[in-house]
Amino acid sequence: MTTKTSLLKVILLGDGGVGKSSIMNRYVTNKFDAHLFHTIGVEFLNKELEVDGNQVTLQIWDTAGQERFRSLRTPFYRGSDCCLLTFSVDDNQSFINLGNWKKEFIYYADVKEPEKFPFVVLGNKVDVTERQVSTEEAQQWCQENGNFPYYETSAKDATNVAVAFDEAVRRVLALEERTDHLIPTDTVKLHRKPRSATSCCS
Amino acid sequence: MADLMLPESRRCNNFFLYDGSKVRGESDQTREGICYFYPEETPLDEQELLCGQLAGAGRCVSELSSSPVRILNLHRHKFAIRMEDEFFWALGCSVEVPTVSVCELLDQLINLFCFYNGSVRQSYQLNSQETLAARWAQYLSHLQSGSSELQHIFSCLKTIDSTNVDPLLLLKAALILQACQRCPLVLAGCILFRGRVVSTQMSPQLTMKVMVHESTTYTKPQRPNGPSSSFGGAVSSTTVFLTPSELRYLQSAPVNKDFSSHSTPHKNTPLKKTRLSRTLSDTPSSTESEPSDPGNSQSPQKLLSPHLSVSSMFSQDPSQSTPNPPPPQPLEPPLSNGKHSPEECPSPEALEESYYHSFHSNGDGGSQIDNGGDTSAGTEESHDHQVSEEVRGRGSGIVPGHKVERSDPPHSDAFEHPGETPLIPMTLYLHRVKGLVLALLVEPHFLSDTASMEEVYHSSLASLNGLEAHLRSVSPGAPGALGPYIFAHFDCIQSTLTSNLSGRPGGAPEQPFVRATSLLHSHFCNTETLQEAIIRSAGAAVYGTRSVAQETYFQQHGGSLRNSGIPNHQDSAFSLPGKARHRLLKHGVNLL
Repeated sequence: MTTKTSLLKVILLGDGGVGKSSIMNRYVTNKFDAHLFHTIGVEFLNKELEVDGNQVTLQIWDTAGQERFRSLRTPFYRGSDCCLLTFSVDDNQSFINLGNWKKEFIYYADVKEPEKFPFVVLGNKVDVTERQVSTEEAQQWCQENGNFPYYETSAKDATNVAVAFDEAVRRVLALEERTDHLIPTDTVKLHRKPRSATSCCS
Repeated sequence: MADLMLPESRRCNNFFLYDGSKVRGESDQTREGICYFYPEETPLDEQELLCGQLAGAGRCVSELSSSPVRILNLHRHKFAIRMEDEFFWALGCSVEVPTVSVCELLDQLINLFCFYNGSVRQSYQLNSQETLAARWAQYLSHLQSGSSELQHIFSCLKTIDSTNVDPLLLLKAALILQACQRCPLVLAGCILFRGRVVSTQMSPQLTMKVMVHESTTYTKPQRPNGPSSSFGGAVSSTTVFLTPSELRYLQSAPVNKDFSSHSTPHKNTPLKKTRLSRTLSDTPSSTESEPSDPGNSQSPQKLLSPHLSVSSMFSQDPSQSTPNPPPPQPLEPPLSNGKHSPEECPSPEALEESYYHSFHSNGDGGSQIDNGGDTSAGTEESHDHQVSEEVRGRGSGIVPGHKVERSDPPHSDAFEHPGETPLIPMTLYLHRVKGLVLALLVEPHFLSDTASMEEVYHSSLASLNGLEAHLRSVSPGAPGALGPYIFAHFDCIQSTLTSNLSGRPGGAPEQPFVRATSLLHSHFCNTETLQEAIIRSAGAAVYGTRSVAQETYFQQHGGSLRNSGIPNHQDSAFSLPGKARHRLLKHGVNLL
């Protein structure tokens, strides 16, 4: 068996200002910049990981949370392997909007089986003292909406950021393994397109 | 996007550089002095003939008239000429090509060479003739390649087709550049996509120069990402040489001001060596390219906001009886917007710096106003600052409120003399993400400053990745059928061209339009007071109008021209100005 290098696309969604870009930057470059501008459209960074002897390139897509950037970001939902729904624990509205983000993602990413898609929920900015969303509330929402794993993170002081991404990767790989069992890959495809004489003209 | 490219659009028939210092005595052969000759396959005898005759004629005429020759018009050809100390350049084109375009092409070529190699004399001392011949050939082919005939006429920047691109993406590009400038070693930058400008902080001339290196690195195969380098193969750099005025212009950007005192050791030294002010009378009288051509001139305020510069630069122009609206609001916000440093509001000092960059100490305490003497059309507040600062801060030798009428541009490539002025080495840093390139002009020690390099690299990487993904997914607009009209709109300030011809393969229907545009552009360049003209043949009429900031050309298709030979109010050509105004509004061109 060869060790395959697979690319996993993970997308961060959530209201503007909850800290999606900061989470990505913290995870990939281990830096925090308090003066980031709004993300316009989408951005992404790659991070190489080794999981169970397999090289994995994690491609983390950071998106613009503001409504006015919607048409720019939605075309890039497609092909995501995991979605990190992000809110800020000091902003109740961003928590309330999680459901909308989930809906938007499922619609534009054209997810075939939404109930099986790996979502992970992040409550960011736990370093802030004035919380508006309690851990219990968030956990309850996650349970009611598909039993999503929930992490309380802080991009500012690096709390739980790596742990959350590790969980995302684990979820995706676990799902792939399950589907790998269903569709064995070491078979011969009988329906391969025959080489025809017309191929030279294409 | 295939540009309209005509087989005969090779602009240059001949080009040579002749070094007179190599041919002094009777026994010296002309060929000794030929540094480079294009086309290279020309027999040496012919090369000698042309070099000898043109150089002789050029010298003779310039000595008799005691002003340098800029153009030699022959029956079928015209030659743009440049003479600097012992060097003699000539670039030959067909007479069809507007004189101003030929001269611009030659200037661009020489300036390109100096940008990448430093002074010509020194380059020929340090490098072999073959090496440099390859470079001349490279620059020449770059300047002639891939552009439409219209673009050649205006020598304009190749920009992305902004009609298909979400303006927010242009904003994104501008913000990436501003974020890079948070590093004090970064002077200015531009972002290019597939050889076209997405956003730039540099003057059009400087942007054009940077684009040559971009195109050469693009054609090279990408090196695989080496594990040893943290930047992989995506980052490259090269030494470039800026003229003192280019550097001054870059350093005048307000965003740099906070840092420049400690980060730019070269800053003040070269300034004193240049002429502090050039006036119109300083320019050669034989030249056909106008010193006041706004296409060549740059206001330092432009970096601040092109919108502001247009109005301020020309607010005193008496020829502008009906003030034209500034060109469509640029999408880049003023530079200070994206800066999130504590000094969000510029201090009076910063304002003084940004509006006063063009005040140079003459060394003996006297000062001169170079440009930007009037910013009244801009923000009133800053203008007030200017006046008060003038009195308070730099009082010596300045009359408060004194204004220089239409002072000369601080920088004009055409009249820069790279052979004479000392050039300042800088570094061009390139970060490529597939078809997207971030090009930054940085202080030379940026490369040895790992922390700065990493900061710039990491702070821009995600955004560049994203911008590349966005731009790649933008589908080029369908070329569509030729509409009922053709137009070309040239923004002289940003040196950009908008036309509904771009992206269309060259064809017969637009030939009359291109020729008429070329002719009208020539006339506009030669006749400063000319504002509107209609040029016509038996089958077509093209309307041209210009202001200090823009030139617009318009042709309406269909409907026979009712031209009886005598003035006739029913002549459809007379309705062209009205139609142009009406039709072009939806293209963002306001001729009202």
